[in-house]
Amino acid sequence: MAEPAVNVKLIKERLAFLKGGRFKAWLEICAHCAYCSDSCFFYLAHDKDPKYMPAYKVKQTLDKLYKKKGEVTWEELEKMADIAYGDCTACRRCSLYCPFGIDVAVMIAAVRGILCGQGLAPKGLQDAAKHHWETGNQMAITEEDFVETCKWMEEESEEEMPGLKIPIEKKGAETLYVLNAREVKFYPQDIAEAAMILYAAGEDWTFPDLGWDMTNLAMFAGNAQVMAHSAKLVYDAAKRLEVKKIITSE
Amino acid sequence: MYQFVTGPMAWIAFGIFFLGMAVKVVSLFYLTREKDKVVFNHFSWQWSLKSIIRWLIPFGSRSMREKPLFTIITFSFHICLLITPIFLLSHNIILEERWGISLWTLPESVSDILTIVVIVTVVFLALRRIALADVRIVTSAYDYLLLAITAMPFITGFLAYHQFSNYKFWLIFHILSGEIMLIAIPFTRLSHIFLFFMTRAHIGSEMGQRRGAATW
Ligand code: HEM
Ligand code: HEM
Ligand code: SF4
Ligand code: SF4
Repeated sequence: MAEPAVNVKLIKERLAFLKGGRFKAWLEICAHCAYCSDSCFFYLAHDKDPKYMPAYKVKQTLDKLYKKKGEVTWEELEKMADIAYGDCTACRRCSLYCPFGIDVAVMIAAVRGILCGQGLAPKGLQDAAKHHWETGNQMAITEEDFVETCKWMEEESEEEMPGLKIPIEKKGAETLYVLNAREVKFYPQDIAEAAMILYAAGEDWTFPDLGWDMTNLAMFAGNAQVMAHSAKLVYDAAKRLEVKKIITSE
Repeated sequence: MYQFVTGPMAWIAFGIFFLGMAVKVVSLFYLTREKDKVVFNHFSWQWSLKSIIRWLIPFGSRSMREKPLFTIITFSFHICLLITPIFLLSHNIILEERWGISLWTLPESVSDILTIVVIVTVVFLALRRIALADVRIVTSAYDYLLLAITAMPFITGFLAYHQFSNYKFWLIFHILSGEIMLIAIPFTRLSHIFLFFMTRAHIGSEMGQRRGAATW
């Protein structure tokens, strides 16, 4: 099977766009001192296999992309994808252990952005991002299904807590409650339980009818456009309904 | 030759060092303002200073406490590296002769010992790069080159001071290698002398001002 062509022009554009003061300084001054090694759980969990030490992950990805001016092969990009998506969670712990405070996670996130532009993000993340873009939630649940699920859970809770309501799109409520789309699809009981807590606490709350999924898998994929869109849906819902605060599940 | 390396060449070296670093720091600042505005959103002097000072104190951070031997070595290396050339008697004699200024100076027996400390710790740092797998994997020839550039003025200065065989040769070699080091600073990772303060200020503010988390 022929390998897909690398869009070198796009990589070059991204690299130029990304090269701000931080990346420039970090890539230059990393002392290769390995103060960061023991801070990374990937490194520890693999019995201190050196290929999981944080600075090495940058050296194999972003540093290499800059050194080669973006002119890399598909095979090299695939190796980078294994590292950027598989060997680092972008947790930022190592930046607390580095004498220069080099933020490996931010650089790995940048690499994901580049790889995502080449279609190399893991399929599950790509699909979720696509769903979020098209339907406003990562599981492509329709508004109808969402409303119905809430109604169903309202009825289910009736016996335990008479009078409990699950408000949707109630303007002027105090609190906006947003959750993970998986809860709606696979664990609807979570909605009932959260509603009970909010009811018992006497909260004046509401779900929005759009922007109720607070997950952002596009961020993990490195898809900046959908990442911004997903966050903005929740932000817009809070504005629209004039709430004072947002509560998120998980 | 002696005239050249202590005259024009010294001016060139110090000029490139100071000017190069000034250009570097200022251009990085403006580049950050243009492209990484996020750096300034949460900038805080307080968190920056705490983050810098903690990492300038031996064992001031948890990371340093987890690698005690390396921390002792690298602090001995850096402290002697900075103090020796500035407070060295011979350097201050030259300063006095040329510009009529001179600083407080170290007794020669002390500066000799500090010089030996630098040389020994550099050897240790080099061996560490070979011995430990996690350091070895990120090490390339460039890392050894920088260690050599840093160590060379100390080795040659030591040999000159002790009038080891050909004094004139070692002296000129010493001055040249000192100048090479100064020139190398703005163009290599050695620029960390200044950039350290910038990147630490950033991470201190980023983690501290934004999330209330300490970076030490
Ligand atoms: C750029 C101009 C420089 C000049 C003109 C210069 C000149 C000298 C002279 C004349 C000596 C004394 C040799 C003797 O006692 O006869 C000396 C020693 C020494 N220099 Fe320099 N030097 C320069 C740069 C540097 C730099 C950049 C460093 C280190 C970073 C350095 C580190 C030393 C040390 C450590 C010794 C003394 C070694 C010992 O006492 O064992 N020098 N230098
Ligand atoms: C205020 C000034 C300085 C600060 C805060 C500083 C800080 C650091 C830090 C945090 C590291 C990395 C980790 C470590 O090895 O400890 C390092 C490494 C290093 N520094 Fe500095 N430094 C300073 C000045 C200098 C100067 C003046 C030189 C020599 C020109 C120098 C040469 C080196 C070298 C060669 C390494 C690499 C050591 C290795 O290979 O393991 N530093 N420095
Ligand atoms: S950000 Fe990545 S490399 Fe750093 S500690 Fe977390 S998982 Fe490890
Ligand atoms: S601790 Fe920082 S400077 Fe040292 S190797 Fe890791 S990222 Fe580079």
